[in-house]
Amino acid sequence: MLEGERVLIASAGAQAAGVKTGMRRGGVLMLLPDARIHERMPALEAEARQAVALALLQYTPQVAEAEEATMLMDVGASLRLFGGIRALCARVRENVHALGFTACIACAPTARGAWLLARASAGRPVRMASLVRRLDRLDVLLAPPARAYAAWFEGIGCATLGELRRLPRPGLQRRCGGALLDLLDAAYGLSPELHEWIAPPERFQARLELFDRIEDAELLLAGARRLLLQLVGWLCARQLAVERIAFRLEHERGRVARPPTSLEVALAEPAWRDEHLVRLLRERLARLALDAPVIGLALEALQVRPMAPVSESLFPEPGGTEEDRMRMLELLVARLGADNVLQPLPRADYRPEQANAWVPVQAIPPHKTRDKAFEAGLPLDLMSLPRPTWLLAKPIALLMRDHRPFYGSPLRMASNPERIEAGWWNGPQTRDYFIAEGQDHTLYWVYRERIGADDTEPRWFLHGLFG
Amino acid sequence: MHCSDSISAAPESLHPSLWRASQLARAGTRCVDTGHAALSAQLPGGGWPTGALTDLLLQQPGIGEMRLLRPALAEVAARRIVLLQPPHPPQALALAALGVPPSQLIWLRAGRTADALWAAEQVLRSGSCGALLCWQNHVRSDSLRRLHLAAQAGETLFFLMRPLAAGQDASPAPLRLALRPQAGGVEIDFVKRRGPQRDAPLFLPLTSHLLQRHAPMDRTTPAPVTARGLQSQMVH
Repeated sequence: MLEGERVLIASAGAQAAGVKTGMRRGGVLMLLPDARIHERMPALEAEARQAVALALLQYTPQVAEAEEATMLMDVGASLRLFGGIRALCARVRENVHALGFTACIACAPTARGAWLLARASAGRPVRMASLVRRLDRLDVLLAPPARAYAAWFEGIGCATLGELRRLPRPGLQRRCGGALLDLLDAAYGLSPELHEWIAPPERFQARLELFDRIEDAELLLAGARRLLLQLVGWLCARQLAVERIAFRLEHERGRVARPPTSLEVALAEPAWRDEHLVRLLRERLARLALDAPVIGLALEALQVRPMAPVSESLFPEPGGTEEDRMRMLELLVARLGADNVLQPLPRADYRPEQANAWVPVQAIPPHKTRDKAFEAGLPLDLMSLPRPTWLLAKPIALLMRDHRPFYGSPLRMASNPERIEAGWWNGPQTRDYFIAEGQDHTLYWVYRERIGADDTEPRWFLHGLFG
Repeated sequence: MHCSDSISAAPESLHPSLWRASQLARAGTRCVDTGHAALSAQLPGGGWPTGALTDLLLQQPGIGEMRLLRPALAEVAARRIVLLQPPHPPQALALAALGVPPSQLIWLRAGRTADALWAAEQVLRSGSCGALLCWQNHVRSDSLRRLHLAAQAGETLFFLMRPLAAGQDASPAPLRLALRPQAGGVEIDFVKRRGPQRDAPLFLPLTSHLLQRHAPMDRTTPAPVTARGLQSQMVH
């Protein structure tokens, strides 16, 4: 990585080959002719910091950006919710890692102290006394205002912050200016600090440039997770829950330009946690057939609503909450398709095919009207109608042997007929239904077509099985 | 002396998961009453085990398997009942007559076996359904073990309906029953259970309210009629 034609940072392999910080481009190319050299791009770095800040908003609303690519978070109020400082640090580290970065994390009772410790990777003190102890051991040049006077500090033999603190203040202020003293006071908790907290944007829109042309759903999911993490941070900061999100998969531009593939995920229950969104997206991406490699991802929150946190009950229901159920159904729909997750919606009709209607789960009206809708379709006396558990999708025409219908074995009628004659307005039916018993005592639901069979033998059909 | 004492003590008093070969095991999990006294007496724990794979081997679909499960399904119908890949479209009206309200039914169709097994696992792991009935013809034994493990994660009643031929293969299910139709009921073979080997099949009368009502008077009604059946006869 170069900045202003000088090497800023080099990979381990490059360092082994002799590349050092501050080298020129020519020197690097001489040592490593096939080195991949990148120019530092401040705009991209700012974007990355923005992404991290957005993702971190899920832990505390108070996130501030500090100099030298550091983030300051005030987590004093969040410790209990996330299970203590260690658990919180682990989560932050994991999230930053998922975003594709590595982080040095430090915590301290003062923000500037934490900043100094993070720059030096020097631990996580939680008490003031241990913070002072650790700060005293740090290199004096960690403080940005002190760097201009590096030679002077070296000359007077002042190497650590502890030694710096022992110097007389008026003299220090005259020589180095007020900034250094202010920083010291802030770090040691002697003066209050002011931060400019990051304000989350009004609308959520995030883009991600992928590092390569990607055709694999798993890899796409990893990219999508980064965007979802930012979304979660944004939702938490604005106290919103998302109902509908849209992914845009951008394809290569140029000669074979094609419009971006759009993937919309609608949720039955608004969500603000990423596990469920990731699971849904995995199923959706697995089913998606990509026409072309993807080079970019964009995520947008189309529809949001105020977050309604669940009320935790002391004794949780054994079967989980209604939200759990909806989440399970959503997951099933995401993989199997909406037409394959069905719920019955009985209709008041005499014809068995019409009465037995199944509709996609998501087409059922919401909670309140549900039970009424079901009851309206059911006859008052359920037991009065003999109906088989399994209704064949298409009636099977039965063979006739000795004037008896035959299905595996001769069928013997075990009930009186039930005459169904209805539907003159669409698809009329005139049938006599019987319960028939085969020789192996299996029960069948068969019917005889009444009209159109006068001249020939009666036509029999098998229409159902009694489960 | 002391040693012989502890040997003569009942094994179940030593550890809850021990039993003699001649007696039925006690169930490790909660059981749902089958509603058929004769069958409950033959099952460990006195009912269908929850949180475990139960294999039902059917001669063919539609031989009374749903009537057999009716009391148990009606008992767990406070939660959803999922039908996964049933052999034919289920009829909501008939299931309502069996005591399962239509609002609690879910019918899942899956194109491929892998999808069906995945769906079954999701339903079991979510633990928010009362019962899962899954129809499969060919399931590999590792998939069966996986389903059994998933079932143990919750308290869902889980029945896997397979053809009779599947009884030849090994299965991790602690309870496996084979069903064959008989006049007025079903015949149940105990392929595997935690208890003594039983070779004679158990005949279970499954009185269908439909047939009782519509049956001709001269038809010999088979064996005993349950109290429930009698009542409904008197009401009509």
